[in-house]
Amino acid sequence: MTAREVVDLIRKNVGVPWNERSYRDTFKLGNPDSTVKGIATTVMATFDMIQRANAAGLNLLITHEDTFWNDRDETKDLAENPLFKAKTEYVLKNDMVIWRIHDHMHAMKPDFTVVGSLRSVGVKGGENATMRPGVYTIPETTLGEFASQVKRLTGARAFRCVGDPKAKVRRILLGPGYATPRMTAEADVVIGGEQQEADGAFDDVEYVMDAASLGMAKGVIMLGHVVSEQPGMEDLANWMRTFIHDVPIRFVPAEEPFW
Amino acid sequence: MRDAHISRRRFALMAGTAGLAPPGAFGAEPLTAEGVIRRIQAGLGGDWPSAGPDGVKAGDLSAVVKGIATTAMATLDVLKQAVKANTNLVLTYEPTFYGRGEGRAPAMVTPGRGPVGFGADDPVVKAKHEFIEKHGLIVFRLRDHWQAHKDNDMVAGLADALGWSAHRVKSDDALYDIPKATAEETVALIRSGLNLRGGLRAVGDRKATIRRVLLHPGPMTPATMWRRYSEVDMMVVGEVREWENTHYAADIFTAGEKRALVTIGRVVSEEPGMRACAEWLKAVVTEVPAKWIDAGDPYWRPA
Repeated sequence: MTAREVVDLIRKNVGVPWNERSYRDTFKLGNPDSTVKGIATTVMATFDMIQRANAAGLNLLITHEDTFWNDRDETKDLAENPLFKAKTEYVLKNDMVIWRIHDHMHAMKPDFTVVGSLRSVGVKGGENATMRPGVYTIPETTLGEFASQVKRLTGARAFRCVGDPKAKVRRILLGPGYATPRMTAEADVVIGGEQQEADGAFDDVEYVMDAASLGMAKGVIMLGHVVSEQPGMEDLANWMRTFIHDVPIRFVPAEEPFW
Repeated sequence: MRDAHISRRRFALMAGTAGLAPPGAFGAEPLTAEGVIRRIQAGLGGDWPSAGPDGVKAGDLSAVVKGIATTAMATLDVLKQAVKANTNLVLTYEPTFYGRGEGRAPAMVTPGRGPVGFGADDPVVKAKHEFIEKHGLIVFRLRDHWQAHKDNDMVAGLADALGWSAHRVKSDDALYDIPKATAEETVALIRSGLNLRGGLRAVGDRKATIRRVLLHPGPMTPATMWRRYSEVDMMVVGEVREWENTHYAADIFTAGEKRALVTIGRVVSEEPGMRACAEWLKAVVTEVPAKWIDAGDPYWRPA
């Protein structure tokens, strides 16, 4: 089975019309006609993750995020970059192939990134969640207690919270990765991966600081991009096993990059 | 809200004649916000297009100025401190009403992406406007012009806050050769020097020896990261996107290079530059005091 054949099977099973114009969901590196020995799903094809996948004998990497440190995986300014050369040479030398699945994951029903993220922070009932999952209710707790629970469950080191830790919260609004949602009247806590801190389309950080100053129970939890979207890549591997039986499929997590 | 709109329109008309009024031409007349803004515009120079981010965001420009506060982000807590300090003209580097649109545009829904912007009827937006009105504050955004004309002060201010001013390598670049320490030790120094809570995040080699540091307040693009990271032992940056610069720093660590990327937070990185702005204002406006008010590190981490 070739990498191209694996992608064709994904297209057949994805359940939504294939978007031929997606610049994200394309082959990034390697020969699509290479024979697949094993498949690794991951949130980010970091150099470290690539090496671990290779050591495990998995040569087709299916990544949710970019490979070359920009969304379009534009490489024209990187031709002379030593890191670009080292990463590229490693992949090619080991007959590995990198393919990205981003836009179609967020179009799928359910969206595994959201399902996985909700599950990873201990919010129940999100098994069929889509890209815009709406508000989930948890038993009332404080923002500080909830954040501690998130830390325990995710094992994340470097996530950041805004708001009064003593605020009573129960209504959770979650968006994966960079799709951190705008705070609304219906939500107490917004959970996302990352978001521009200020001067964006909407600035949750300042909004929640001011809401807290007014005594309103509002909070933000920024998990980090990898921590936020990683769990759903295990769901993707499980899903792929329902229609690909000839080669091993493993979830190979990228590490949270921060100390 | 209505007053703010009128003021903005008047300001836009007025902005076209900026520079005609020489500093000090106001004689014994009371110093209005309009007068202070004209002096700032004359002092910084350049065009002041009404479509740009800089300009009045709330309040009445004809109000008499009692004192000036500068800040990286005019949060409600900053405004409360400004009132206590008897300063009623607040100059902020970042938006006041939660986004580039400053609460003017109604909240819109982009298909698949959810709502953007906070509308004028949002309870937090309303409460902030009411606070500003009740206390006679004028909030003015001063970003592009402060950055364009005093870019150096954003970097020099951050270096000063870290105690690194004397270590600058050359005046036209943001490189500093600081006393040698491990990345971990340098991070601890940055944390205490800037009074950080949970916002700082570091990537890379924690045992690396740090000597040469690039300071970059505000956001950093991937192009700058790719071009300059291997020149230095550490970059100290306001914010980056995780899938871009953070991922690059993580990959370079895997490749064996002994460096670290430290993001301290966008607002935190810009505060020292706004402290420098308050110092600059003392020479431009001598009639009333100018004071920097720190918005602080917005983030905390759970136990």
